[in-house]
Amino acid sequence: MNEATLSAPIAKEPSAQQRIILDGLWFNNAIFAQLLGMCPLLGVTTSAENGLWMGLATLLVLIASNGVVSSIRHIVPKQVRIPVYITIIAAFVTIVDLAMNAWMHGMHQVLGLFIPLIVVNCTILGRAEAFASKNSAADSLLDALAMGSGFTLALVILGTVRELLGQGMIFGTVVFGADYPNMLMFILPPGAFIALGFILAIVNKINQGLEAAKKEQRQHPREVTL
Amino acid sequence: MSQRPWMNIDREQWQMVMALFIVGLLTTFLLALTDIFTHEPIAQAKRTALHSALTEVLPPYTNQPLDETLTIATPTLKDEHHLLYSARDANGNIVGFAWETIANDGYAGSIYILMGVNSEGRMHAMRITDHKETPGLGDGITKNQPWIDHFNGQTLNTIVWGVKKDGGDFDQFTGATITPRAVIKTLHQELLWFSQSRQQIFKAASTLNKEENHE
Repeated sequence: MNEATLSAPIAKEPSAQQRIILDGLWFNNAIFAQLLGMCPLLGVTTSAENGLWMGLATLLVLIASNGVVSSIRHIVPKQVRIPVYITIIAAFVTIVDLAMNAWMHGMHQVLGLFIPLIVVNCTILGRAEAFASKNSAADSLLDALAMGSGFTLALVILGTVRELLGQGMIFGTVVFGADYPNMLMFILPPGAFIALGFILAIVNKINQGLEAAKKEQRQHPREVTL
Repeated sequence: MSQRPWMNIDREQWQMVMALFIVGLLTTFLLALTDIFTHEPIAQAKRTALHSALTEVLPPYTNQPLDETLTIATPTLKDEHHLLYSARDANGNIVGFAWETIANDGYAGSIYILMGVNSEGRMHAMRITDHKETPGLGDGITKNQPWIDHFNGQTLNTIVWGVKKDGGDFDQFTGATITPRAVIKTLHQELLWFSQSRQQIFKAASTLNKEENHE
């Protein structure tokens, strides 16, 4: 073995941009890692479709607010930044609310109050304060895209599990057939908590596995083939 | 100095005020713009939703019930008056009326019902337009089609208006009696009101027709 192979990093460290994407989608996922935005998560995920549209509405608001907050980060005085962020977020939520009411009337009826409630989703203010106010507009948009997609992913997963167990369907398509005794509890709020608990347990298990593999790699670098 | 207190505000404070002011101004402008663009589509979407619900609860018609509305006083009910959509056939004869009503004694909040009767006062069909009943239990009123269709063609005398638990002819749902009971009670009251106010309603409908002919 020559020197180059020995000194080469075992697993290539991800670039800053890749890091943002991985964090948003998985390692710092708004739901799985930060446990933020529980209200829409538990409230609307009675079906996969509801979860998907709620996630996409949040994603849209997040992209707009992160982009604007990042572009004005040098102008806004520190003392009033939170009211400014909230005003911006509330404006974009209202725009999404009106737009959905106009062009997706049926889904707007279903999601109802949860759309205006995106304003108080901690994920959005959290990203504005923790990321967009300190990073470039391009990175902030990427962060919004990753975080929003991660949030949507979590909502769709929980929505799918609840719809499947509660109604025997996925995205409105019957999976289990007519004989399936619908486990009503999973459509009701307690079922949301129970399903979320199991999903979080699985996520933690996967993360433990990843952590162990990383450790293994560090201790026995030569066994890993590149 | 004391007459001009704003002179005491330092530069930093001005920046804060201006930042909030400008952001407030811009977002207001943005929202006004969105409202201008969505106002018409929202009204249109609501109209479309109501229109498709009307075709389900009314007998076949050829006119535009949304444009032929009657306001009829309802002294016996909780609301002060109903807005009736009148359906006519090609000859201009009334084939039925539809109106929206609210059942207030559901399990969780108000249940909004759109109901249609034919010209004889026989119920044609009903649809729930909005409710907050428990998913999987009380929401059978929107999902249990046989139960919904059980109302079709009924009059005050063809069926006993109540859930089976109360000695009526309608099924209750497993784990949910309050919701169907509220819907049945409201529809029964409404049919009763219609049969009492029938002459008044038809009279109002005929004057509406005349007015249109004169135009």
